[in-house]
Amino acid sequence: MVGHLIFRLTIWFLLTANLSWLNILIGLSISLLLPRGYTNPETLKEWLSILGKILWAIPLAYIEAFDLILRPHNDEDMVCEQVEKKRSHRLVFLDILLITFTPKTIVVKYHEEGWYEVHRVTRRKKP
Amino acid sequence: MSLLLIAMILVLLIPLYDAWKNDNIWQKMLAFASISTKTAILILFISVLRDDWAIGIVGAIVLTVGNAALMLLANIIKRMNET
Amino acid sequence: MMDFISYTCLIVGVIFWFWGTIPLLSERSVLFKLHSLSVSDTLGSMSIIFGLLLKIPREWPLLVLAIVCLVLWNTMLGYVLAYCSSSGEKRENR
Repeated sequence: MVGHLIFRLTIWFLLTANLSWLNILIGLSISLLLPRGYTNPETLKEWLSILGKILWAIPLAYIEAFDLILRPHNDEDMVCEQVEKKRSHRLVFLDILLITFTPKTIVVKYHEEGWYEVHRVTRRKKP
Repeated sequence: MSLLLIAMILVLLIPLYDAWKNDNIWQKMLAFASISTKTAILILFISVLRDDWAIGIVGAIVLTVGNAALMLLANIIKRMNET
Repeated sequence: MMDFISYTCLIVGVIFWFWGTIPLLSERSVLFKLHSLSVSDTLGSMSIIFGLLLKIPREWPLLVLAIVCLVLWNTMLGYVLAYCSSSGEKRENR
């Protein structure tokens, strides 16, 4: 609930770039009025851990990009990654976003039973 | 700055050529996705060069709308392959 | 100093663009090209926009919005393309 509100208000202020009282009121009412879907509530701890992951993902992505450029990765393979089963949709979405954001790995498919098919590039040649 | 702009336009030529030459539909989609992002960034770049923010807003909109449209198109192509 | 950092960001972004876009011409699988495109289109563009941001900090809301849009939509597009193309290709192989 609060996370939603903060997210929408951030987008609103970035869009309008205007911090007058009238604008704040309009933004607040719009972000309260927009419908939202029902999802399982997440604990604060999960949010904190995912926030940490997001902040870490950006430098990690650049490190991987330089790694890809300096040492050519020519091989590709598929792996399955296990995650916990009961996660809310938003957390699953963020997980997929984070995995796909780093250039070495891309999520190809998400299975309801709780694992992702991940495609990645590697260095070692196939025997 | 304008040297960078020329380099960026040169890069833009690569996916254009690829979209023209390649016959596989998914390779074409990749090329179009690349074109969409690159044009949007070019628009933003030019807006900074000319110091004109109306153009910059167009760039931000193209960034969103172009990618969203390609996502829809990918889903449609997948459905058409299935039936 | 600020100018130097911003030019470095811009040049790094353009180099990423070149590196990531050239594999489009080769004969690799869609997924492999997607990896290199995510280097160029997401990370390279992020670095270019960041360079612009350092150059003209006055209009930061629009540029920050552009970065957020770029990251969200580009990675989602990558996922959707990977998902659709892989399930499409499996059908063709059958």
